[in-house]
Amino acid sequence: MSTLGQVTGLLQLVPVQRAGIGLLLAALGLPVVGVLIVGLDIMPVRFAMMHVALLGIAIGQLVGLDPVLCALVACGLAGAGVAPLARTADSLSGAMGLLMSLAIAAALLMLALSGVNANGAFALLWGSILAVRPVDLGVLGVLAVAVPALFIWRRRDLALLLHDRELALCSGVAVQRLMVLLLVLVAVAVAGAIRLTGALLVDALTLLPALAARRLGRSLGSITVWAIGIGAVVNAAGFLISLAWDLPPGPILVLAAGAFALAAHLIPERRTTSWRVPASPSAPSPH
Amino acid sequence: MDLDVVAGERVALTGTNGSGKTTLLRAVLGLHRQTSGEILVGGRGCRTAAEWAWRRRACAWIPQRPAAGRFPLLARELLASSGAPAEAARAAEQLGVDELADRPLSSLSGGQLQRMHLARAVGCVAAGAGVVLADEPTAALDFAGQEETAEVLSGLPVTLLVVTHDRAMAERCDRVLEMAAGRLREVR
Ligand SMILES: Nc1ncnc2c1ncn2[C@@H]1O[C@H](COP(=O)(O)OP(=O)(O)OP(=O)(O)O)[C@@H](O)[C@H]1O
Ligand SMILES: [Mg+2]
Repeated sequence: MSTLGQVTGLLQLVPVQRAGIGLLLAALGLPVVGVLIVGLDIMPVRFAMMHVALLGIAIGQLVGLDPVLCALVACGLAGAGVAPLARTADSLSGAMGLLMSLAIAAALLMLALSGVNANGAFALLWGSILAVRPVDLGVLGVLAVAVPALFIWRRRDLALLLHDRELALCSGVAVQRLMVLLLVLVAVAVAGAIRLTGALLVDALTLLPALAARRLGRSLGSITVWAIGIGAVVNAAGFLISLAWDLPPGPILVLAAGAFALAAHLIPERRTTSWRVPASPSAPSPH
Repeated sequence: MDLDVVAGERVALTGTNGSGKTTLLRAVLGLHRQTSGEILVGGRGCRTAAEWAWRRRACAWIPQRPAAGRFPLLARELLASSGAPAEAARAAEQLGVDELADRPLSSLSGGQLQRMHLARAVGCVAAGAGVVLADEPTAALDFAGQEETAEVLSGLPVTLLVVTHDRAMAERCDRVLEMAAGRLREVR
């Protein structure tokens, strides 16, 4: 009985229930944000946003507002601020480096001014699934609705933008405006995910499912569906394993997601054959 | 350089490699930031975002080297991006690539991709574009395809500016210009 009994016993506890709901909500929104990060090729953005989140926390402690809320706002503003630089992935990477150093410098300055022990602020960056509060669930819930909704509502524009910026421009997509929206979304999602797993483990919830899905799907739609599916499976499996054997959830989630991503990359490209079959009678001969 | 194209005219643009033909077409679409001088389409310049949006709707583009794309896009989605999916799909059928509609662009051959972009341009025209900017639209095509593309492009009720080294295409145009080192010379 031991492991099953332990899991059901633990699931009666409110913090554990909250953690489970948090992971479920996270599986709906965050892997899709990962698809955005992969599609826009903006991996450095999430590092920068972690530092900006720390700045937000520091400001929150200085002025006495909720640090997590401040982190979200700071990330949202930073995301909107760097959008004009997103014309190419290169220019964005450089800007991210700058933003990252400035944010961390400002954060340390704020912490010194507020007289808070810097460790206290850093502790907030080490979020934990079992310390999830209703506020955090709210943020994840909003993301779980808003992100997939945006993907359904703007799927044509997004598919074009993620494929090629110039093609999107010539097809009448409001590239600049969409880019601001997407970067704000990425920034807020990263800030929200930090609370759930801690800064170092954000990738497990966002990027890894997206990377696996990128291998399995062959259009924006199918990649998004795969990412959500993989995210849900990984989160559920990782969570149950950590409950059953009393292991820390964060690392188990990362390992589960990593194993999935690796497996997806080891699958041979079987789809190529299914493309070739209907393709043969295509050559036109106008005679 | 200075170029006037009358509405409804078909102009072929030839010239040595690297003389700036592609750059000229891209400048019309505002894909190059650093341009000096003025480009008017239908008498309209581009200062505001709304004017750029109008310009890009008015001008259908067939790129010389379609982007490899960072993320998969289905051929169907490319056709739909013209604004007139049904017409674009019909053109794709005419060009023999309608069966490839459900494949990602990255899995198409160069010629198939070029046919897809031509079909998209036909869709753009159906959606209201009055200008077609075609950049070597027959470069990757087989002989039958070159003939067919020349036929389709010259049959469209639009102002056509086509960069081409293809005689069959040039012969169907009203004017032939040659570009050398950023200057234009009237050949015919
Ligand atoms: N992105 C770029 N950055 C810098 N220089 C460029 C870029 N694209 C083109 N050029 C240069 O601008 C000049 C004109 O290029 P363009 O592509 O317009 O030539 P083209 O006439 O279309 O040539 P081709 O017949 O080979 O297609 C070339 O010398 C080219 O090297
Ligand atoms: Mg060229």
